[in-house]
Amino acid sequence: MSDRNGYPVIDRSRRGPYPPTEEMLAEPVPQEEQEAQQRRLREVWATPKGFRYWTAVNNTEVGVWYTMTAFAFMLMAGVMALIIRVQLAVPENDLVSADRFNQLFTMHGSAMMFLFAVPMFEAISILLLPGFLSARDMPFPRLSAFGYWCFLIGGVFVIGSIFFDAAPNSGWFMYPPLATQAEGPGSDIWLLGLSFIEVASIAAAVELIVGSLKCRPPGMRVNIMPLYAWYVMVVGGMILFAFPPLIAGDFLFELERSLDWPFFDPERGGDPMLWQHLFWIFGHPEVYIIFLPSIAIASMIVPTVARRPIVGYSWIVLSAVGTGFLSFGLWVHHMFTTGLPNISLGFFSAASESVVIPTGIQIFAFLATLMVGRVKVNLPMLWIAGGLAIFTAGGLTGVMIAVAPFDFQVHDTYFIVAHLHYTLFGGMVFPVIAGVYYFFPFIRKVQLSERLGRWAFWLIFAGFNICFLPMHLTGLKGMPRRIYAYPEGLGWDWLNMISTVGAFIIAAGFAVFVWDLLRPKGHQPQIPRNPWGGGTLEWTHDVPAENWGVRSIPHVHSRYPLWDDPKLLERVDAGRYYLPDSKQGQRETLITSVIDAEPMQVQKVTGPSWISIWAAIFTGACFILPTFHIYWPAAGAGALAVACIIWWLWRDTARPPEVERKDVGLGLSLPTYASGPASVGWWAMWITMLGDATGFASVIFGFFFYWTARPDFPPEGAAHADGLMIAAAAILLLSSWALTLGARRLNWSGRIAGARIALGVAPVLALLGAAALAASVLHLSPSSHVYPAILCAVVIWVGAHTGVGVVMQLYCLAGSLAGKLTPNHDADLHNVTLFWHFQALSALVACAVMGLAPLLLEAPA
Amino acid sequence: MTAENDTEHGQPAEPEKDRELAEFAEERESLLRITFAPLTWALHFVLCYGTVSLACIKGLIPLPYTRAGLIAATGLALALIALIGWRAFVQWDVRRTGDFTNPEGHAEHRHQFLGHAGFLLAIISAIGVIYTGLPLFILASCK
Ligand code: HEM
Ligand SMILES: [Cu+2]
Repeated sequence: MSDRNGYPVIDRSRRGPYPPTEEMLAEPVPQEEQEAQQRRLREVWATPKGFRYWTAVNNTEVGVWYTMTAFAFMLMAGVMALIIRVQLAVPENDLVSADRFNQLFTMHGSAMMFLFAVPMFEAISILLLPGFLSARDMPFPRLSAFGYWCFLIGGVFVIGSIFFDAAPNSGWFMYPPLATQAEGPGSDIWLLGLSFIEVASIAAAVELIVGSLKCRPPGMRVNIMPLYAWYVMVVGGMILFAFPPLIAGDFLFELERSLDWPFFDPERGGDPMLWQHLFWIFGHPEVYIIFLPSIAIASMIVPTVARRPIVGYSWIVLSAVGTGFLSFGLWVHHMFTTGLPNISLGFFSAASESVVIPTGIQIFAFLATLMVGRVKVNLPMLWIAGGLAIFTAGGLTGVMIAVAPFDFQVHDTYFIVAHLHYTLFGGMVFPVIAGVYYFFPFIRKVQLSERLGRWAFWLIFAGFNICFLPMHLTGLKGMPRRIYAYPEGLGWDWLNMISTVGAFIIAAGFAVFVWDLLRPKGHQPQIPRNPWGGGTLEWTHDVPAENWGVRSIPHVHSRYPLWDDPKLLERVDAGRYYLPDSKQGQRETLITSVIDAEPMQVQKVTGPSWISIWAAIFTGACFILPTFHIYWPAAGAGALAVACIIWWLWRDTARPPEVERKDVGLGLSLPTYASGPASVGWWAMWITMLGDATGFASVIFGFFFYWTARPDFPPEGAAHADGLMIAAAAILLLSSWALTLGARRLNWSGRIAGARIALGVAPVLALLGAAALAASVLHLSPSSHVYPAILCAVVIWVGAHTGVGVVMQLYCLAGSLAGKLTPNHDADLHNVTLFWHFQALSALVACAVMGLAPLLLEAPA
Repeated sequence: MTAENDTEHGQPAEPEKDRELAEFAEERESLLRITFAPLTWALHFVLCYGTVSLACIKGLIPLPYTRAGLIAATGLALALIALIGWRAFVQWDVRRTGDFTNPEGHAEHRHQFLGHAGFLLAIISAIGVIYTGLPLFILASCK
């Protein structure tokens, strides 16, 4: 294989000794060299100044913006809650109108869930994960920046609608028909604005998963990585499988609203239950997506407080992974009152009970750690303990609700509101604040006030119980949720008054907390580097701050390197470990293998740029304009967004490097380029496509759902998709896939001309295939019945993906012509082929369902 | 995925493409392996839910057959999980080592840790499958 038509095979193996020996590590680094290295690193990682500051993409900047923005949205949603509470303080109040009230609670719920709880996890992880892993940055910094700007634009748009009296008003789960028929742009704002944010959430999840798989420091095998990284993988995976069903639901919903395709309209064969299914397939895991990261924060704080390693590491990993799975088996417990078969309800009741087990295990592991350790209670621990107490109470009421008969009783009363807030405050708000107190010295290199922190804690803790404990009773006394006023004399009056007082005490607590965050802290003396005495790598950070992330990337061999390896810190600082320098003036980080974290590659990471902001602005316009029924400019914005993204990928990613390998220190030499499974890009593509395939599966699920649930699907004498065209589409799309695969093989073996021809023909076939697919449904009228509508929806989905696939093929062709893609530098082509594997599969499934299913389904029932 | 092909002990580097592929295969398998038991649970769950919907809502299959079939499927799922769990238990190797924590950064501990985690996941998955199967025994009608 040495000769591939004149292209030599580049040796990309690791060269040099690994792991490093003690003698190698003991050898000192000369002082001048250390200083020169520091100078170069400082320059390469410098944050842009002035107004260019906003072009920064480094995780330390983006992470801070992200957390602050999510927190600001939380405060706004909190203000809405206060208005709600004031309205409900006394009977027959008329502070706000019924419609305004509906907007308020819808927006409160939606903002808390979509703009605070989930983004907060991703924001905190972007900020902290590289520190835990001693990585210089996340693998795709511009992607994080892009995600952040999308989040900001989408969030401001969604939450801003409340000021124009145009907010969605059908509750945070938007049940049709209420929400499909709602007047005004409210529902569209919810659907499009939040879909946009969900897409950004998925992007961040992909990046975080790849980060924890491939950016760990050498030697950090899976059995010694910080528990936080395990949680990031589990929660990222859950986002990947939970959000796409919701996006698929949004897609159908928006088609109904803008084109009148009757997916949820029973008159024309639709079924509102499909939305409920898709929403809760997302909605229940969402609860755990919110809750697990808090456990992750606790898992970093508890060992420090107990001053000993965590007890039951494997058990905690088991619980995290187990919860990740089991939580997907619960969705129907939100639909107990909708007349599903008894046995089906039974499955879900049972699964709801079984998820308690892993949750309990995690909490017991923490308690055990605290019991056997030498506990020194600090402020973060106080918040964790408070959260645990509240969460446990919420868990108990949750078990009650999971029993179907009890749910019939309290369904849609204030009992549910109380339960919900017990779990969310205990499982999310308290641990996150604990995390803020614990990690603040790491993030800002100053400390928050102990005294103010205690004040905030007791105010919020007491206020919380005063506000929400009485609501259980209010609910048992029958007060329904989501009512804007209630008559006097039902025994609800004083309970509501107490709740309102409690809400304001919570608000006071938050005011103290916010003040503590924002008050000037310039006069503080320099803090100790490891103020809590933690054992994990983030405490190798530099005080005062440096932008390089970590001075040199250590080789680790235990779960708490700072406790177990007394020389580690000194060697990190001296630049004794890996990548202590940046001679070529490039931002780089180390890529290691998935299981055992052996060094594999030096990855160049992208630096500051406006392009991620522009890409976000155009993507935002593409989602936002359609809410006002402005379609052509939206399409234009979409095209510009694609152009921006292509520009950014073309200029700065997967280019043939100037040198094929680099010395990374300690005698080790690593390649600078990787393609296929060895590269981070390939992993990102694979993980993204998993999510994408889930979305497609949800649409197909819709098809079979209608068939099961509706006697008139397909309706008698209905027109079907044109079988001949479908067959043609299948053949064309598969040929396009085969050519893409062939192009990769040809290119790799040095037959460049052949590869280019394949890459030129493939898009033509793909476009013809998409056209044939569209032609197969052209004679149907999708607004007449759900059967043609869902066929057309499948066509739109596959067609849009084909478009993306075509752009990718052309991108590779252009790359080959421009010398960006060569036989030895074919990462792009690997990734595109991977995309096409999925694309071919979904085309096959789509064609099979559209072409074959009608024959089977129509068989005499 | 055994301790042998770990490069820690300074083996000569294999040809690049092979090493890459070997490593990927090894890694993908071993991280995926701990999810086999929960995946069995998930498949069993979807099967139960889907079939009961077809039986009760669509009326395609008579309920007694459905129940019998699904109870058999439950038995099968449990057997499969037991097998996965047993293999993981062997990989964990706790009876020989007596080590419940595997806290060190060498290949053997990593290997055993993945066995341990896989074993625990098999237990929780088995509980999940049993819980899912219970209504099939208890409830004899759709409504
Ligand atoms: C300042 C603290 C808070 C107060 C006083 C508060 C108050 C309320 C009240 C009174 C409702 C019921 C509205 C109604 O049914 O008419 C509600 C609903 C809700 N809250 Fe909160 N809340 C607070 C914080 C949070 C947090 C931190 C979260 C999530 C992380 C959250 C998530 C929700 C959700 C999802 C709903 C349901 C909305 C709906 O019915 O569509 N809340 N809140
Ligand atoms: Cu739930």
